[in-house]
Amino acid sequence: MSGKKTKAIISLCGKGGVGKTTVSALIVKALIEDPSKRVLAIDADPAVGLATALKINVKTTVDDIRNQFIELLEKGGAGDRDQVLGLLDYEMTGALHEKDNLAFLSIGRSETDGCYCQVNDLLKDIIGAIAENFDYLVIDAEAGVEQVNRRVLEKVTHLILISDLSTKGIKAAETIFSVAVKAVGFDKAGLIINRVRDQEEMKRITLPSNIAFLGSIPEDSVIRNADIEENNFLTIESTPAYEAVKRAMRALGVAGFNTTTLPGEGS
Amino acid sequence: MNLFDDSIEKLRSFLERKRAADSLHELIVSHKTWPAGERGNIVLASDTAVELGSPEQESVSFMVWTEKCGLIKNNRINLIGPDISEKKYSGMMRSLPFGKVVLLKLKGMDENNSYERHRQIDMARYDLNLKGYMMRAASQYMREWSRVSREAARSGFSFAHLAGALSAIYSRVEFVTGVEYIFVTSSTADVRSLASLGTTVEKRINAMNKMATELAFDCNSCDYTEICAAVEGLRSMQKNKSRLMS
Ligand SMILES: Nc1ncnc2c1ncn2[C@@H]1O[C@H](COP(=O)(O)OP(=O)(O)O)[C@@H](O)[C@H]1O
Ligand SMILES: [Mg+2]
Repeated sequence: MSGKKTKAIISLCGKGGVGKTTVSALIVKALIEDPSKRVLAIDADPAVGLATALKINVKTTVDDIRNQFIELLEKGGAGDRDQVLGLLDYEMTGALHEKDNLAFLSIGRSETDGCYCQVNDLLKDIIGAIAENFDYLVIDAEAGVEQVNRRVLEKVTHLILISDLSTKGIKAAETIFSVAVKAVGFDKAGLIINRVRDQEEMKRITLPSNIAFLGSIPEDSVIRNADIEENNFLTIESTPAYEAVKRAMRALGVAGFNTTTLPGEGS
Repeated sequence: MNLFDDSIEKLRSFLERKRAADSLHELIVSHKTWPAGERGNIVLASDTAVELGSPEQESVSFMVWTEKCGLIKNNRINLIGPDISEKKYSGMMRSLPFGKVVLLKLKGMDENNSYERHRQIDMARYDLNLKGYMMRAASQYMREWSRVSREAARSGFSFAHLAGALSAIYSRVEFVTGVEYIFVTSSTADVRSLASLGTTVEKRINAMNKMATELAFDCNSCDYTEICAAVEGLRSMQKNKSRLMS
């Protein structure tokens, strides 16, 4: 599914509250600073938060479309398969929220999962087709990458696991990773430790030996304040957490990050 | 079979009113080909020069056909409002309301084939593949939304090209013998007038679909009884159907 154009499909996974949404938003910020890069951000966490971080007003989620659609099917007004596909494509393109070189799609909560697999599969195909129009995809995922596979896209190229310093968080990351290795494909994966107050703290934890370590992100008051005030992450100035995220992206080897310095970043 | 002749008459008087007000441009379908794009491509908002009939705008798109000679002016485009390439190509995207009617001259239509054939021509627009042109349609709601990229607008993409590409597709359908187009971009009010004519068409299509797709169906309990009674073609479909079922 990584189309002709798409350079990376980045999915962020980890236990709730460790910073998936924060780091997703900072990755998006780093990518769209280059106006030639087209970025699709997908909020695939049922807890929904990426839209807020990017100050995007979500009108329709993929799940809203599915529900409206199931209603239409039940009333018998959906038409045949081609007409159905046409309508879903129309609605999905409409659900794409566009802002310069950034587009945003919210998956929403799904309560009717399981039924109407055909509709789910069609929606996934359409997301795949939409994705091909972008250079980068950033998916703020729920815990595991298998949910991303089931609800969003078959293929993730870069899997980022996030944890705070807690043993629980790291254990969760290890579990997600081992499921991902067995059940789903990816090209590269790595672990980020978030909210580190000083490097002494890093010495107190044991990093999993089988997952590449991408670096740590400092506890950052700019981030915390932005969240308290519901500020737009895209407009915050350079801050230690943001710089650390960019370093982690380079460590993961995301195309476009590993070359020269990024725009807006001093050398 | 002629299901839409009275609607075609009404469309004609709509056009005549516009002509009288000096706001009708009559163009001829262009047979110059436009380069193909990549299938399924999205024209992103940031690359768009003109957007027509988006979900936020008034939009209507439908199709009528007849077998009668003289009702359809083959290769004619009736444009009300600005053409695509008249708009500014730089700066912000222009979003316009959009109305589109395709009027077709068909042959060999009867009670048994009209539903399937109607569907077939309705779906033909999905075969369009034009560089810098994106089309999304919800035939269930008679809406059509399209975007033309800055690059395409700069290279002169116009309704004549769009109609030309559609006509090339329709010409491959053996029962299509003529095509005429109406495009409206002038105002929400004009698109609404067109949409109100579309409602009658929609009801007839729905009645036709219902008869063709629902096996066990009872005219006595159907919402479309009045519509069927009013249109000869639908009446004969109805008779045909009850014959098959008894
Ligand atoms: N590096 C950081 N510095 C300070 N606060 C952070 C940092 N990373 C995350 N947070 C805070 O932690 C909370 C949870 O983060 P969030 O990104 O929403 O986690 P998740 O999406 O994994 O549930 C938020 O209130 C956020 O502001
Ligand atoms: Mg979150």
